[in-house]
Amino acid sequence: MSGTKLLMTFPVTATSHTLADYRARGGYGALKKALTQMKPEEVTHEVTAAAVRGHGGAAFPAGRKWAVVKLNDGQPHYLCCNADEGEPGTFKDRWILEHAPHLLLESMLIASYAIGVRHSFVYIRGEFDLPYRRLAAAVEEAYQAGYFGERILGTDFACDVAIFRGAGSYVCGEASALITSIEGKKGYPRNRPPRTTVRGLYQRPTVVNNVETLANVAEIIARGAEAYKQVGTPKSPGTQLVSISGHINRPGVYEIEYGYPLDRFLHEDCGGVLGGRALKAVIPGGISTKVLTGAEAESLTYDHAAFEKAGSSLGSGGMIVIAEGTCMVRLLQVMLRFYHHESCGQCTPCRDGMGWLHRIIDRIVAGQGEPADIERMYAISRANDGTTICGMGDAAGYATVAILDKFRDEFDYCIAHKRSRLDGRLEVHDHA
Amino acid sequence: MPELFINGQLVLAEKNQTVMQAAVANGISIPYFCWHPQLSVPGNCRICIVEVEEEKGDNWTDIACNMPVSEGMRVLTDSPVVLAHRKAMLQLMLLNHPVDCGICDKAGECTLQDYHFQYNGAPSVSRDAKVRATKFHPLSDRIVLDNERCILCSRCVRFTHEVSKSHALGIQGRGDHSLVRAVENGRFEADPYSDNVIDLCPVGALLSRSFLHKARVWYLKATPSVCPGCERGCTVQIWHRKPEWKLQALDPRQNTSIARVTPLENSAVNGPWICNKARDLARIFERPRAEHAMLSGAPVALPVAIAAAQRLIGGVEHPVALVSSWGSNEELAAFKECLGGRFASFVKQDCRFEPGEPTEDHLLIRPDKNPNTAGARKLFGDTAPAFHEQTDLVLVWGEGFDFARLPCGAKTIFLNAYQQPENARADIFLPVSIQTERRGHYTNFEGVVSAFEPCFPKDPSIADAEQLFAALAAPPEARV
Repeated sequence: MSGTKLLMTFPVTATSHTLADYRARGGYGALKKALTQMKPEEVTHEVTAAAVRGHGGAAFPAGRKWAVVKLNDGQPHYLCCNADEGEPGTFKDRWILEHAPHLLLESMLIASYAIGVRHSFVYIRGEFDLPYRRLAAAVEEAYQAGYFGERILGTDFACDVAIFRGAGSYVCGEASALITSIEGKKGYPRNRPPRTTVRGLYQRPTVVNNVETLANVAEIIARGAEAYKQVGTPKSPGTQLVSISGHINRPGVYEIEYGYPLDRFLHEDCGGVLGGRALKAVIPGGISTKVLTGAEAESLTYDHAAFEKAGSSLGSGGMIVIAEGTCMVRLLQVMLRFYHHESCGQCTPCRDGMGWLHRIIDRIVAGQGEPADIERMYAISRANDGTTICGMGDAAGYATVAILDKFRDEFDYCIAHKRSRLDGRLEVHDHA
Repeated sequence: MPELFINGQLVLAEKNQTVMQAAVANGISIPYFCWHPQLSVPGNCRICIVEVEEEKGDNWTDIACNMPVSEGMRVLTDSPVVLAHRKAMLQLMLLNHPVDCGICDKAGECTLQDYHFQYNGAPSVSRDAKVRATKFHPLSDRIVLDNERCILCSRCVRFTHEVSKSHALGIQGRGDHSLVRAVENGRFEADPYSDNVIDLCPVGALLSRSFLHKARVWYLKATPSVCPGCERGCTVQIWHRKPEWKLQALDPRQNTSIARVTPLENSAVNGPWICNKARDLARIFERPRAEHAMLSGAPVALPVAIAAAQRLIGGVEHPVALVSSWGSNEELAAFKECLGGRFASFVKQDCRFEPGEPTEDHLLIRPDKNPNTAGARKLFGDTAPAFHEQTDLVLVWGEGFDFARLPCGAKTIFLNAYQQPENARADIFLPVSIQTERRGHYTNFEGVVSAFEPCFPKDPSIADAEQLFAALAAPPEARV
């Protein structure tokens, strides 16, 4: 079953998210180890050595991000846990927040210790209800048990955590927009330079890590980097929580060890495509990652290198399975409607480009497309490539181009015949 | 001092400068909309994208306004990649812009228009309908906003947050439905610097109500001048009809009226800003003018009145003069030279603040509402006007004197530019020119001297104070 597990190691019960159960599983042991046996630099070193990559989408090595923050530079540092999880198709952080909130909190404490943070934040998606309640309860429990506040575990280390609920903006999952939002401003991303690790929250060095990235920290400290690296592949150590949805028989959250074959995951672990249809395409990690055709996807192993070679990326782990018979034109329409709706409106290419893309695809779907529309969509995507403040414009452009490249015939057909080649509602029956 | 190359040209930059700042300081033009030297860098218009050459050929592009200079970097501002980006950005900016230059007040001085002609010039490649937004949204009593023309550069928003500090504007909504709006319960209406956002706006989105559809800017001429609204003495440009485009028909007063006032950038005094009082100079200068000399309220020709004044001055023993703090340095010097020995002279405060007017603030506005108090005091001291029992003549130059304070039995000579009831009460009334009809200098409270130039010709029935004082000082018989 999808290889070794690091996070989903316990059976989910009615109490498995509580502090008592977490401690019974050995919880907060890594924190004790870090605080009593390791120096902050050693913790960062260990995380760097484990080569754990960001699980939020950009796959930036977490240790390298931490190492930018200089201890004892005379200014406060902040840690923000990115629990905004807004990438369509992604719901894996939710599992951690609901079932292992203490694992996240313990990891945040270790990270705070490593990078000299006194105040840490969890920016949680506003639509999350149970995850929020579970996390808030866990924070309460942790404070009462003395894991937060002054003199944690009898050491000089002090740390507080605050939960900040988002208000439903997709772009606030982008690190700098998240920071701006915590500051109480409109959730606009900021220009780089400076990076958030240089000037982030309240203009101070700030590390923003995804929930799952942070959750791995406790595991790394508990096991040690060497043992951690035994899991996964040499370039992608560890595991990835994958939330799989779409035309798949058993959607849900799975933990995959890096290097696990994707076709085995899809067809064995997840029970194959709904209704026994052929696999048409896979969006591997949230809609901002480039779509893979079924054949491309089935030949891959689940790790960063393989996906990058195939011209895509693991993204946020939000996998969407698309069965044969799905109209890609209308799929793109749904995606572009989302990007148009979520563009923050700050910088020109995305603000005007997303609306334009949306209007064009609406027209094509309505049977009013013209051949020049394809070139227009390419041009808008090009105009967004590397020109926007945050990555959203780029990502939308890449996703659009990937679908246009790989399923061009469907678009041409739709424009020429004023209707989709795959007309009618896609019926995929779940016979199980 | 990092050295870098912009388009192959060696440029010396300051440490911590951005490529944009270095380029502007060295006269290299990189197009920009949202960037402004006095405001923060939002980097949202993306038009200033430049290319940085790398040794290995892996060139990269980023926005110049947020790109720190580094030693030896090689920046290209007009490479094919940059030009393609620029064209794409303009294409996107004009996507939902109405392109109604024909009826837009900004046409002729619009950055979007200029850049479009310079860098794009192609018709739109879109065939979709434009996004509609509010036209003529009243931001305040002074400013209307056309949201369709707005390119969301956020300059106006940042101005209210960073310069005027009223925090009165914000952007509402997201994506291409974002709208600049006054914040709820905000103070944009009361922001004394609100009109600066009209100049800041790179397109014709923020429009002055008083200037709305009044003139095409290419028919206007900007004359450098100084705002007389307070002792700051901000340098301004007074825009008025070009003499060569004089209206023959229609209302001829349009040829001699102030169309609008904009700041004249001056780092020594006001930077690039002025307050709303300066925008409303027409309210000061276009009040009904006193056009005729008078003897005890009866109109006479100017030379007659001057001769009468000469005789009066020649025949008194203890004359007092109240010198105008609105007089130019030249006029004040002329008074001192010609009449200073004859009169006991005091500086008069012509104007005090009006009800509701801000007295003083963090930015420009100063409590003394006269432009040249400093210049006048330098010549005439700063003792308060005092009359004695023997005072037999009071020469009042300019407004703001309460005639009830006149000593009993003293004669009066009154020099004023505007129609006021006091004019007829003076024994001799002489109409004088106003600032927009002459050239001169004011000294502001910090000692900075700024010049103003004439905008309009002076009516021959009106005297020019500088020459008038010489005439008044000459013995009566010398002139006959």
